[in-house]
Parts: sequence; C-alpha cells; structure tokens
Amino acid sequence: MSAFIIDEVKKTFSNGEIEEEILKGVNLSLKEGEITALIGPSGSGKSTVLTIAAGLQKASTGEIMFEGKDMTKMSQEEVRHIRATDFGFVFQSSHLVPFLTVAEQLQLMLDVSETKTSKKEQVKAIDEMLKLVEMEHRKEAYPSSLSGGERQRVAIARAIIHRPKILFADEPTASLDTNRSKGVMELLQELTRTLNLTTLMVTHDEEMLPYVDRVITMRDGYIVE
Amino acid sequence: MKIAWKEMKKNKTRFLILGSIIFLVSFLTFIISGLANGLSQDNAALIKKLPQGQFYLDKDADKTYNLSKIDEGVQQQIFIDNPEATAFSVQMGFVNDAEDKQHSLAFVTSTDSELFENVKEGEIVLDRSLQEDGIQVGDVLTNNQFSGEFVVKGFVDQQKYSHAPVAFIAMTNYQEMYRVMEMQTIFIPGKDAPTLSALDSFSNKEFLHAIPSYSAEQMSLNMIVWFLVIISGMLFAIFFYMMNVQKIGLYGILKAIGMKTISLFKMIWYQMLVITAISLVLSIALSQAFSFVAPEGMPFHLTMDTVWMLSAVFMVVGFIGATISGFQVKNIEPLQAIQQGEM
Ligand SMILES: Nc1ncnc2c1ncn2[C@@H]1O[C@H](COP(=O)(O)OP(=O)(O)OP(=O)(O)O)[C@@H](O)[C@H]1O
Ligand SMILES: [Mg+2]
Repeated sequence: MSAFIIDEVKKTFSNGEIEEEILKGVNLSLKEGEITALIGPSGSGKSTVLTIAAGLQKASTGEIMFEGKDMTKMSQEEVRHIRATDFGFVFQSSHLVPFLTVAEQLQLMLDVSETKTSKKEQVKAIDEMLKLVEMEHRKEAYPSSLSGGERQRVAIARAIIHRPKILFADEPTASLDTNRSKGVMELLQELTRTLNLTTLMVTHDEEMLPYVDRVITMRDGYIVE
Repeated sequence: MKIAWKEMKKNKTRFLILGSIIFLVSFLTFIISGLANGLSQDNAALIKKLPQGQFYLDKDADKTYNLSKIDEGVQQQIFIDNPEATAFSVQMGFVNDAEDKQHSLAFVTSTDSELFENVKEGEIVLDRSLQEDGIQVGDVLTNNQFSGEFVVKGFVDQQKYSHAPVAFIAMTNYQEMYRVMEMQTIFIPGKDAPTLSALDSFSNKEFLHAIPSYSAEQMSLNMIVWFLVIISGMLFAIFFYMMNVQKIGLYGILKAIGMKTISLFKMIWYQMLVITAISLVLSIALSQAFSFVAPEGMPFHLTMDTVWMLSAVFMVVGFIGATISGFQVKNIEPLQAIQQGEM
C-alpha cells in the first residue's frame, strides 16, 4: 500500500526575469515500513523534492497525496497540522533551536504536536528516545556545545519523538564519519521497522544504500530510476 | 510561554539592548512631561487648584483677564443669584523685605470664599517658596504703591501664578495698590454654573488658556512630549522589526516543525510585554526618584495619572510594533525563512 504519492510535481524558481524549472515532473510513491533513498548528483533537485513533499515549500504544479488527500489543495493551517503531527523532518544541517537544551528540543516537539500523554510519560519518552540515539548523557547541553554528529542525532530524535507517520531526512549522515553514519542508518532502519514509519531520505553516500529498501535516482529534475 | 522566556534568558544582550532603548526613551518622555506639568503648575497652580466651574470676564476685556473690570452692580446681582460665587483679582507686583530685597509676586485678592485665603487688612499670606527665600512668619514687607505694611501671617503650599509665588492680601489693600474698585473675575463652582448674558464665560480649561504665556508654553512642551512618543513608537517598531529579521531562521525552524502562527505571535508579544514592562517600571521608578533630587527651583511635577497614561501609550505602541514585525513571519514559507536565516 502506498502511504504517500508524489504525482507529476514540478517546481519553478524565478530569479527576477529568468524562470528556471528545477523539478520537471517527479513521480514517486512511498511504502509503509520502507526506507526509500533519493540519490543523484548535486543540484539535481533531491532536497527540493523532499522539502515540497514535507510541506516546507509549495510545488508549482502536481499533486501530493497523503492518506488519500491532496496536500497541494490544503490550507496553510492544514499543512501545518500535518507537519506537526504526522511528519518528521531532519534537515541537511540539523537546525536545532539554539536556546533550548537537548531535552527541551524534544519537549518542544511534543508540545507542538499536541501529544496528549502525561508529563511523566513525556519525560520518560524523551529519556528513551535520547537513549536510542545515544545522547542521554548530553540531555542538558545546548546545541552550540554539541558536535555535528551529536546535533544530527538530536535532530533525528526530534523528528521522531512525536511518532510521525512519515520521516523525511535530508542527508542525515552527511556530517558524520562512516561508523557514526552506519549507526544512524541502523537507527533509521530500526525505527522504520518498529514504528512502522515511512521514510524518505536523501543521501550522497553509496555505503548507506545497503540499509535502504528502495533506491531512486534523480538527474536534472527527473527521476531516472 | 516558556520558550519565549528561555530565549530571553539565553540571549540576554539582545533583549537588554532593546530594553535599554525603551527605558531611555520612556524615561526622557516622563522627564519632559514632568517638566511640562511642572511649568504648567508653576504658571497656573492658583487656577488649576480651583474646582470645576465657570469663570466670567467683562465683555469689553476681550478675553484678557487683566483688562477686565466687572461692574459692581452686576457683581452684586450675581452674588444674590449664586451665593457660592467668588470674585477675585490678580496682578503682578513686588514686595521688599526688611533687608530691602525685592521679591516678585502675584498679588491675589478675593471676596470672602473658601477657595482663596482670606486675609485681614495689613496682613499677607505667601506661597511656601518664599519661606525658602528666608521670609518668616511675622516679617514685615513693604510695597512702594502701598502706604502701609504687610505682616506675614503664614504660608500656603503650591500657589503659583505666571511663574511667580502668590501673595494673598485683603481687598482694601489691593484696591489701594492698584487703584481699582472693580474685581477682574468671577468664579462660580459647579458643573451647572449658569451662562451670564452680561459677561463672557469660560470653562476652567478655556480660562487657563486665557493666561497669555500658558498656551504657548504648554503647546510647545506637549508637542515635544507627543513627538517623543511618536519617535519612540517608531523606534520600538524598528527595533522589534530588526530583531525579528535577525531571528527569521529561528521562526523558520519553529514553523517547519509545525508551530502555530498564533504561538509565534504569542512568543513575540510575550517578549515585547516583558521587556516593555520591565523598562517602564525602571523608568517610572527613576523619574519618581528624579522628582526628589530635581534641583530646587526646577518646576518638576509628574503625576501618577500622566505616568499611567504614557505607560499605556508605550504598551500599545510596543504591541503594534511587535505585531507588525510578526506579520512578516506569518506569511513566509518555513523553508524560505530557514534559508534567509542562513544568509
Ligand atoms: N529557493 C531557490 N531559489 C532558486 N533556486 C533554487 C532554490 N532552491 C534550490 N534551487 C536550485 O534548485 C536546484 C536543485 O537544488 P536542490 O537543493 O534540490 O539540489 P540537491 O539535489 O539537493 O543538491 P545537493 O546534493 O547539493 O544537496 C539547484 O540548482 C538550486 O540552485
Ligand atoms: Mg540537497
């Protein structure tokens, strides 16, 4: 069953006079419990596909079907609600909130997604999640004092603490060494299986491909498979 | 609004700068309006202290009180119809003390009334500021237009007219000094004081503005105060705007994870409220302290009414500034905001 379908999505950026079509009709469907990897040369449009799919920017044309509804036709507020409750997003650079501690980043995500569990359960969930990404020892640290890899693991934890249905990850292993990268990929694999996530990730790294279920290649705004 | 508070705690410098701008501007506004009010007291405390009512001048006086001479017959009739009416006159002049030092005064006399000091012939009651000049109860004062002498009976607080201390004297002494029998002004207290066909009538406010220097002085000072309020309003708005432009990347992240726009607004409002309130409390405290240390002779009079009103205006202005800067956060796509923040 396809949980998420991208249908003929095009994206045009206009820089003043010049209009440039970056996505020229992308079709893609994601399956529940699977990790799909988007690969392709730099500038081919991978991040653009990912951010449009995640509702962080709008497609110029095309449809994005999530649970049978077209997200491109939804109001700003409906898309926001989906982002808050059903999606998780890991950015190419971690984008944590600079003035919140590691634990508070996750608490904020629980607040934003309006998770209805008790405070005690939330604290426990945060602890467990931090244990999962091996960050519980830096619970009280601020992002500025973390290494790139540590930030990325916190970002992953933030992206899934609220139990989203779909996880988008833009090169989550880019700033990590091979061992750490494999750790993160194992984590994604495990989370995707155990939480029945649907994961779409972008990667440059061939070594990560054994961990994914499906690989899709992009070139010049097209999917070439 | 824990997140708004956490941000302020973590980025103290940024919010301290904003707070000190608000503090300085509001403090300046309080001081200037304290001075405006002080000068106004200094110029017209005598009139400002009177209750709400109507003032009447002779029609021929052309709205200038020191040209006014109210016909005695008219006055008699008014007193019969309105038992609470008072007639009074004011003229600028001088007295000499025992050491022959001259003091500038505003001589005031009135018919028997609770609103003015009632003084016996040969006696004088002075504004307290003259006590600081060394005059004491029992001192003898002279005036070159007056054949007798004035014995100081006592002092009253805050009685000023035309920037001079007021001296209450008896009607007969006044009439001798200024060679007039008629009184200048009639005052009838009460909201429903009648309009009299024989005389021009003025409300308290209108009468204040009939004092020649009063209008000009108050107008310029009030203009300065309102300019300050407008300029500080623009400063607030600009600073909140700049701060939010700097924070656009953060708002992008918060929007990306699905935070509601209203929550972003609440965050902006909360920070504005806390900063403005703290700054205002400080500048209120300092401006009140200033009224104690203000140099002697500097007319500084800042009432709590004025302070609350100006504070409310600052709050509203700050709120508008914060809201305007919130709107540019509202309409931006999360990704665009994040990318702008990275530049
Ligand atoms: N906001 C924008 N305005 C104009 N052009 C843009 C914008 N965002 C992306 N592009 C362009 O779209 C193209 C695709 O960008 P995208 O970030 O999707 O590439 P990518 O495949 O993720 O590359 P990389 O592997 O380097 O991350 C690039 O040529 C980029 O310059
Ligand atoms: Mg990219």
